[in-house]
Parts: sequence; structure tokens; C-alpha cells
Amino acid sequence: MKNKKPHLIYDDQGKAVSDRPWIFRTYAGHTNVWESNQLYRSNLAKGQTGLSIAFDLPTQCGYSSDHEIAKPEVGKVGVPVNSLDDFHVLFDQIPIDKMNVSMTINGTAMWLLALYIALAEERGIDISTLKGTTQNDLIKEYLARGTYIFPPEDSIRLIVDMYEYSLQHIPDWNASNICSYHLQEAGATPVQELAFALTTAITVLDAIKERGCFSAQEFERCVGRISFFVNAGMRFVEELSKMRAFVEMWDEITRDRYGIKDPKYRRFRYGVQVNSLGLTEEQPENNSWRILIETLGVTLSRKARCRALQLPAWNEALSLPRPWDQQWSLRLQQVLAYETDLLEYPDLFDGSHVIESKVKDLKEKAYAEISNIIDMGGGMAAVKNGYMKSALVKSQSERIDRLAKGQQIVVGKNKWLEGLPSPLVSGDDGGIFKIDVNSAQKTIESLKNSRRSRDAQRVAESLAVLTADAEQGNNLMPASIECAKARVTTGEWSATLRKVFGEYRPPTGVDGQAMEITTNRGGVQNKINRFVEQYGYRPRMVVGKPGLDGHSNGAEMIAVAARNAGFDVIYFGIRISAAEIVHSAIEENVDVIGISLLSGSHNEIVDQLSAELNKAHADIPVVLGGIIPQADIANLTAKGIKRIYTPKDYDLMMIMDDIMDVINEHKLSPCG
Amino acid sequence: MPVSACQTDLQQPISEHLLSLLEAAVSLEKWPIAKLISLFEANTEQGFIQRHQLMAYIQQQPKLASRRAYIVGVTGAPGVGKSSLIGELCLQLLKQQPGAAIAVLAIDPSSHNSGGALLGDRTRSLFPVGEKRLFFRSQSSALDLGGLSRKTFQVTRILQYLFDYIVIETVGVGQSEVEVAKLCDHSFFVMQPLAGDQLQFIKSGIMEMPDSFIINKCDEQQYAEQSLQQLEASLRTTRSLLKEGEESVIPPVFLSSSVTKQGFKDLADYITGLSVNEGNRNNTSNKENYFIAKWVRYLYGEYGYNIYINNVANKVDGSMSYEQKQLLFKQSIDNKNSLISVPNQ
Ligand code: B12
Ligand SMILES: Nc1nc2c(ncn2[C@@H]2O[C@H](COP(=O)(O)OP(=O)(O)O)[C@@H](O)[C@H]2O)c(=O)[nH]1
Ligand SMILES: [Mg+2]
Repeated sequence: MKNKKPHLIYDDQGKAVSDRPWIFRTYAGHTNVWESNQLYRSNLAKGQTGLSIAFDLPTQCGYSSDHEIAKPEVGKVGVPVNSLDDFHVLFDQIPIDKMNVSMTINGTAMWLLALYIALAEERGIDISTLKGTTQNDLIKEYLARGTYIFPPEDSIRLIVDMYEYSLQHIPDWNASNICSYHLQEAGATPVQELAFALTTAITVLDAIKERGCFSAQEFERCVGRISFFVNAGMRFVEELSKMRAFVEMWDEITRDRYGIKDPKYRRFRYGVQVNSLGLTEEQPENNSWRILIETLGVTLSRKARCRALQLPAWNEALSLPRPWDQQWSLRLQQVLAYETDLLEYPDLFDGSHVIESKVKDLKEKAYAEISNIIDMGGGMAAVKNGYMKSALVKSQSERIDRLAKGQQIVVGKNKWLEGLPSPLVSGDDGGIFKIDVNSAQKTIESLKNSRRSRDAQRVAESLAVLTADAEQGNNLMPASIECAKARVTTGEWSATLRKVFGEYRPPTGVDGQAMEITTNRGGVQNKINRFVEQYGYRPRMVVGKPGLDGHSNGAEMIAVAARNAGFDVIYFGIRISAAEIVHSAIEENVDVIGISLLSGSHNEIVDQLSAELNKAHADIPVVLGGIIPQADIANLTAKGIKRIYTPKDYDLMMIMDDIMDVINEHKLSPCG
Repeated sequence: MPVSACQTDLQQPISEHLLSLLEAAVSLEKWPIAKLISLFEANTEQGFIQRHQLMAYIQQQPKLASRRAYIVGVTGAPGVGKSSLIGELCLQLLKQQPGAAIAVLAIDPSSHNSGGALLGDRTRSLFPVGEKRLFFRSQSSALDLGGLSRKTFQVTRILQYLFDYIVIETVGVGQSEVEVAKLCDHSFFVMQPLAGDQLQFIKSGIMEMPDSFIINKCDEQQYAEQSLQQLEASLRTTRSLLKEGEESVIPPVFLSSSVTKQGFKDLADYITGLSVNEGNRNNTSNKENYFIAKWVRYLYGEYGYNIYINNVANKVDGSMSYEQKQLLFKQSIDNKNSLISVPNQ
């Protein structure tokens, strides 16, 4: 065709066309399978074009809903799934042969995929038609997200098993999704995001290669199945450049390191959730603009446009979104894709010297970091020795320091604080979503029913095969699918593999941190010096993360800040039981217990803590921080919690100062 | 420890409260033990007096006074796996001696310029909740350079009457090995496979010899064997250099892995054997004399040390408590100060 215009997109016939929009998703799931099924169906009716499933923490960490550790968490931050019976309800009337389904599932990814396959088979659907993704990136779980179960080697083995199985049986399935999203939420800079995510992809591909289960041609296809899940923050020009860097680097790495010839298999395919870490509790309405701007970073540049997008909501820092909040964010995507002319143009940034140079700069730095990690022994080594985790903790603390000093402006948080009250939070529900605490009962009933009605012998046999295959190094997918059909539970599948593989606890990244959180130290240091003089030792604090909550940022920042202020701090990472925290607090004779909870299970867990403290006759003041709705505060205070901090308390040294007051008050009280 | 004025009164009777704490601690209740440890760490006059009272009281209880924990030191560079190893070792010791009680004292070197510390050792040895026979306590090394904290010795003074074993984790670097040897009945130096630097360290003879070696992380097999051979070879040469003439014994080397859990049975057997056959190697007054000298040096430098040697060391006797010795020194230096103001060159 002659006279092609560079500002138009042409199809094969030379006709000017528009691009198809990306997949619109909403990350959703809560309460139980019945409620979540309703939610999915109504979201689809509103024009959402794919499903993105949020599971509750017990399901993600491999516990059934009736396990002791699961109790406070069932249905809180996602949907609980105990057995195939639950999956039948969850996907009721949803055409899974046509639907693209993304599951945010990691430690138990193989199990959930097995359930999905078993569901298809029981429904008589050809499993090769299944389309979707299991997140299944365990490296970023160790670094940022926290729903790991097994040691690194075994986790990688499960991932490779899934790639092997998927390529043969469900070719359109993304067996894993390499995530940089969570790394940014844990503090990663753009360069760290590029470097750590690509290192993860290399680690997975190297492991696949090492197994040697694919022919050269199959390996090409397998590389083509690697997809990514990326973040985009407020610095949207840099983010746009980062996306272009990702595209170029992935093309280069797959070509040069793995010799992939077909460019189609070297394409960087990615989905996005935009940054939520920067969304504020203060003036929450401003978050809507932030979400819009962050969306631009991953949609403007056609060359690096996302395949699927899910957006947080304006009330991100308050609670899970309500259906209306999700609808509002979905509308943003629809407005951008259908009301604007964005999808009519080729790449807008080709030829831009600015973007080109920025991309080059990011790439150089990211490549340098990748080779640094490879020299260290690769992705797994850099998990085990804590290198990557420490780097993230350091970046996060630098971010927090910039916020506290006002070097990084966040409107409504550290600048222009005065504003009119937001009508968004003045409704009856305060603008937040509340889970019905009794809804877990229905889940537990249905779990009991499944257990009662299943064939016990088939269960025992399928679990025995699972154990044997795990021990012998066989691919665990077939055994898992049989377990699913036998109505094995999430807890049983996981416990069986826990027995074979053991469990793993990665480095916390806080020790050995040489970084500074420098603001406002004078005040608190005076208080601490006086304390040391009077009592002859440094104030001691345990920072604990009870339950299954994996949000470690807050606890890490508090631990580091407390140390920098002059406390002796004991911190041992996430997923420690209330009993273990109290036990440690007692042995260490601490002056205060600091608890961090963002999983919505604070009411139940605070009860557990009080019970443990009472049992030991230990009178230690407790302070709490995290996502704690205003409505719960009075009740928690009545239960004896001395202070409650939320994201708006972002100056860490002010928190430390306040905690010293708690300690001093306690020392002076008759029981101190 | 600030021994304030000479008026410090060590004669006050021990309080009921302290006695009941001690009694509960003897029956291994956690909270009272934790509080007693704090009392031995506290840099206050009250702590000073109460320590004396407790020690004096214990000396009058023959049964209690005759108990002495066997103290094991575990040293080695950060990251070699000491905490993980101690966790496994303690569980193994308990398996073999169900009646024993073990206290772990982990000294963390990570002090910050603010003085605060992140105490991370617990992470690696989370013991079963409610297990009375195991007690874990972290200590910051405060301003001491690496190695032991000044508080460490203090805390062992009380723990030795409550437990059968005390395991002390510390970063061993050069000088502090001497202290570990003073404080502990046996010291293990832990290293990772192919830890070249540490081998150099031993070869150059700078490091006071630990009693035994552990090559940990030997799940990384191919290196473990190689390291074992290297270590043994260099131990042979070093020993022949250092102890010429004497009968030189090459210290034992153990292989362990917290991942595969191998090696802990041997290690536990060995420690049990030592505690039964060899017993405590430093008696209390030996230790006290060493640590009081260190305390004096720390607070008053060489000047104070000379006063201690000339005016105090010859006056102390076995019946005095550590606090009484400290007080004696303090009185002595106060007297001196009022007579001469400038020390002789
Ligand atoms: C970052 C983030 C993540 C990261 C966490 C990275 C990490 N390693 O921490 C990632 C991406 C991994 C993540 C995952 C999930 N997240 Co998230 N996440 C957030 C987000 C955006 C910010 C939290 C944060 O780190 N803030 C920065 C830190 C420094 O602030 P902070 O923790 O609030 O701490 C401050 C104060 O609260 C206080 N404080 C906190 N703790 C303590 C403790 C003490 C002792 C003291 C004194 C003070 C104190 O001091 C700190 C300084 O300001 C929040 C929403 C938001 N904007 O707050 C959602 C949010 C917490 N996440 C949520 C959910 C549901 C999840 C998932 C469970 C989703 C799912 N179903 O899989 C997963 C699973 C995680 C898991 N394993 O538990 C929900 C929780 C809903 C609820 N409670 O009802 C939130 C509120 C988002 C939402 N609106 O839905 N998340
Ligand atoms: N492969 C292997 N790793 C170990 C072993 N013991 C400890 N580690 C790891 O080494 C790191 C440091 O362990 P830690 O016990 O904290 O060492 P410490 O600093 O000497 O107390 C952690 O990541 C452990 O998981 C072992 O026997 N084998
Ligand atoms: Mg340690």
C-alpha cells in the first residue's frame, strides 16, 4: 500500500485500524465461594473481560479453613478454597473454557491449578482450552509477598513441574508469572525491579533447561509462555521507560542467553497492577488521580503496553474495596480505552531522544545488577543470602525517610494537608468494606461435608502417590490432579508436601542494615538516654507479625527505625504465632511488644495475644500498627492495646518517641 | 557497672520479692528467669546490690550452690550458621538427656551508632513454645568490639545455677577468643566450607585456638570434604609450630548441616562426654578475677588496673562476692584520688 501514514496503525490488508484494548481485570475475592461467585458474575456483567482471583491467606499458605492458624483469616482478604467442591461453586455459571482466569496463588499454585484442571475435567471441558495464569513466582514471595511454604529448591521444582505439564496439556496456560509488582510494593527502585524480576525469570528458565524435559522447539515455546506482572508508580515517564527497558532486555536475554530464534517467543508479555504503596489514607480521594496517572505509564507507549490491567481503588489504604469502588476503577479503564484516541496510534515515543536515553540508562544499571547477582550464584543464592531482600528493605527505608523529610512530596500527606472533609468517607459505612465474620462458618460447614462424603480410601491412596512422587522426583501434577478429584483438601495436599520438603523461612533483610532513618531523632534519643541512665539498660522491643499476614514493610521499617533510635529490637519475620511472639517477648523481657497487622485479622489476633499474655501472667504493654479501621480502634483500646498507628503515622521517629512514652508510663505504673 | 558512692550498702537483707523470683526461676519459669537475667544486665546501683544479695544467698543453699552449668561457646563469622546450629544442637541434647535444661545466650554484634541493636539470632532457632527446658535470650554486644558483651559474664553468673548447659553464641574475632575461652568450658569455632580467610587466620597463628572446630553447611558436599582436609592440614602445621615440644593434640573437627540435620548427634555426644568427664575448666574466682580486671581497665584504663593489681587483687578472697570485690576496688581508687591527683608516669 502506498501513502502509509506514520501516525496510523495498519492491518495486514493495509487498512487503518485501532488496537484492541488490553484485558480489563479486577482483583477480587472475599468471604466465601458463594459471595465471590456472585461478585465475579456481576463484574463480568459490567464489562470486565477476565477474572483475577484473590485467595484468602490460609489457602495461599496451605491450610484448610478449620486449621487453628487459619481461623482469624478465613475469607478476610480473598476467597477460601478447601477442595474441588468449593471450585465447583466458585466457577458456577462461569464459562471457564472461554474465560481468561488469573490466579494470584504461589505456595499452593500447583494445587490450585490441579483443582482447576480437575474442575474442567469433571465439567467435561477439554483442558487444552483453558486459558490463564497461576502467579507461582516464589522468589518474589521470599522477597516481598510472604506466601512461600517450601525451601527454594523445592519451590523451583514445583514451578518447573508446572511448566512441563502445561506445555504438554494446557498450552495457553501461563504456569508462572514473573512478578516485579510486589518488588516495587516492597520498595524496589525501577532498576531493582528490572534486575530482580529478570533474574527470577533467568532462574526459572535455567531450572527448566537443567531438567532437560523439552526439545529445543518445545523450549522455544516454553520461553514464549513466560509472562510478567509489573508495577507502575507515580513517576510515569520513568515507568514508561522502564516498561520499554523490560521489553528490550527480555528480547535480548531470551535471544542471547537462551538462543530463542522466533521473535514471537521473545516478546515481553505482561499484566499490570498499578502502584498501591503510594496510595494514601489521608485525603483518599486524591488516590483516584494517582491511579489514573499510574495507568498512563503502562498504556501510553504502544511498544510497551500491558496485556491486562487491574487497578486498585481510591480507598486502598483504608480497606478492601467495595463493589462500587471496584466499578469506579474499572470505569477508568473503559474511559481511557474507549473514549480517547489512544488505541489509534503506533508508538508515540519512538524516536524520542529523551526516552531513548532514559531507557538506555535503566538498562545499563539493571544489566550491571543482574550480572552482580549471577556472579553471586544466581537468583536462589541471592534469596538465601538475603542480598535481594536487604536491598529492598534499604530502598523502602530510603523512601520512608524521604517522605518524612518532605523530600518526596505526597499531596495531602506531607504537603497541603488542609482540605475539606471527604464526602467519600462520610457515608454510613465510612467508605470501607467489612467482611461478615460469621461467613467463615459456611465455608467450614462445607469443608466438613466434603470430608464426610468423600471416599476415604481414594484420599489415602492419592496422598500416598503424592508422597511417593515427591520423594522420587516425579512430576507432581498428575498426582495433584488425582488428589483434587479425590476431594483432598488444601491443608492435606500442603501438609503432605511439607512433610517431604520441609518448610523455609527466608532472611528478613533487616539485620545488617547500615541505612539511616534520620528525621527527628533528637527528641526520642533524649528520652532513650534518660531511660538508659535510669534503668541501666536499653529499652527492648519485640516487633511481631502474628498470623499469616505477609505485609512486612511496616514491621521492617519499625524494626529498623527502633534500632536507629536506640532500642534493642527483636524481629524475626512474618508468620509467627501469637504464642511464639509472647513467648519471645517474655524470654527477652522486653519493655513493649509491637504488633503489625494489615490482613484484617487484628481483632481476633489481639484476643489471642491477650490470652497468651494472661496465661503467662506477663504484663507487657502492646502497641499495634497497620490497616486498622477507625471503627475498631475503641474496641482494641478497651482490650488493652496502648497505641494504634496507621499509615498516616508515617514519621517513624515520632512513633518511636510515642512508644517511649508508653514504656515510661508502664514503668511508673504499679505493675511496671 | 557504676558503683556509686562508698556508702553502697551490701548488707541489706534480700527481699521477699527477689527470693520468690529465684525460687520460680529454679523451677524454670520463663518470666522470672527473664527478669533475673535483666537484673544481671542492669547497670544500676539497685542491680548491683541485688546481684550481691542473690549470689550471697545462693552460696548458703548447698544444693543450689553446687550446681554449675557446663558452658559451651560457639563462635564464628556472621552467617556461617551458628544460630541454626545451636537450635538443632539443643534439640538433640534434649533428646539424649530429657532431664537437662539449656539456656542459650546469643550475643549480636549488630550495634548501631545509636547504641541500639537488631537482635536476629532468635529467627534461626525458634524453639517450641512452652518448652521449659530451653531458654533463649539475645544480648547486644553494646559498645564492646565484637565478641562477648560485658553483660555476658554477668548473666552466666545466675544462669549457671538454673541450667545444666549454657550455650553462648558470639562472633569470634581474634582477641575475643581469649574471653570466650575464659568464660566457656569448651569453645567451638564454626566455619563454612571453603572459608579461605578463616583458614588463613589460623595459619597465621593470630587466633587463639578454639577447642574444637565445626564445618557447618556440609550439605554443600563437595566443598565440605575439601575444607575438612584443608583445615586438618593447617591445624597440624599450626599446632606443631605453636606447641613445640609439648604433646600437641589436634583439636577435633565436626561436620554438620542444619539443612540435612546431620552431625548433631556426634556433637551432642561429644558435649555430653565433656561435661561429664572434664567438667568446668575455670573456677568462679578465676573468672571473676579476669572479668573484674577487664571491668577496671574499661572504666579506668591502665591507671585503674595498676591500682587494682597493687591494692585490691591481694586483698580479695574466695568468700567475697564479685560485687564486694568491685566495691573494694572502688573504695581504693576513691582513696587514691583524694591523695594523689596525677598518676606517676
Ligand atoms: C505494599 C502492600 C502489599 C505488598 C506487601 C509488601 C511487603 N513485603 O510488605 C504486597 C504487594 C506483597 C501485598 C500483598 C497483599 N496485600 Co497488600 N497492601 C500493600 C499496601 C499497598 C501498602 C502497605 C505498606 O507496605 N505500606 C507501607 C508501610 C510502611 O506502612 P504500614 O504497614 O501501614 O505501616 C505504617 C503504620 O501502619 C505503622 N505500623 C505498621 N505496623 C506497625 C507496627 C508497630 C509496632 C508500630 C509501632 C507501627 C506500625 O507504622 C508504619 C509507618 O507509617 C496496602 C494498602 C495501603 N496503601 O496501605 C495493601 C493492603 C494492606 N493489602 C491488602 C491485601 C488484601 C493484600 C493481599 C492479602 C491480597 C491477596 N488476597 O493476596 C496480598 C497478600 C499479602 C500477604 N502475604 O499477606 C489489603 C488488606 C485489606 C484488609 N486489611 O482488609 C490492603 C489494605 C489493600 C486493599 N485495600 O485491599 N500488599
Ligand atoms: N546450606 C545451609 N545453610 C545453612 C545452614 N545453617 C544455616 N544456614 C543458612 O545460613 C544463614 C545464616 O544462618 P545463621 O544460623 O543465622 O548464622 P549465624 O549468623 O552464624 O548465626 C541462614 O540463611 C541459614 O538458613 C546449613 O547447615 N546449611
Ligand atoms: Mg546468629
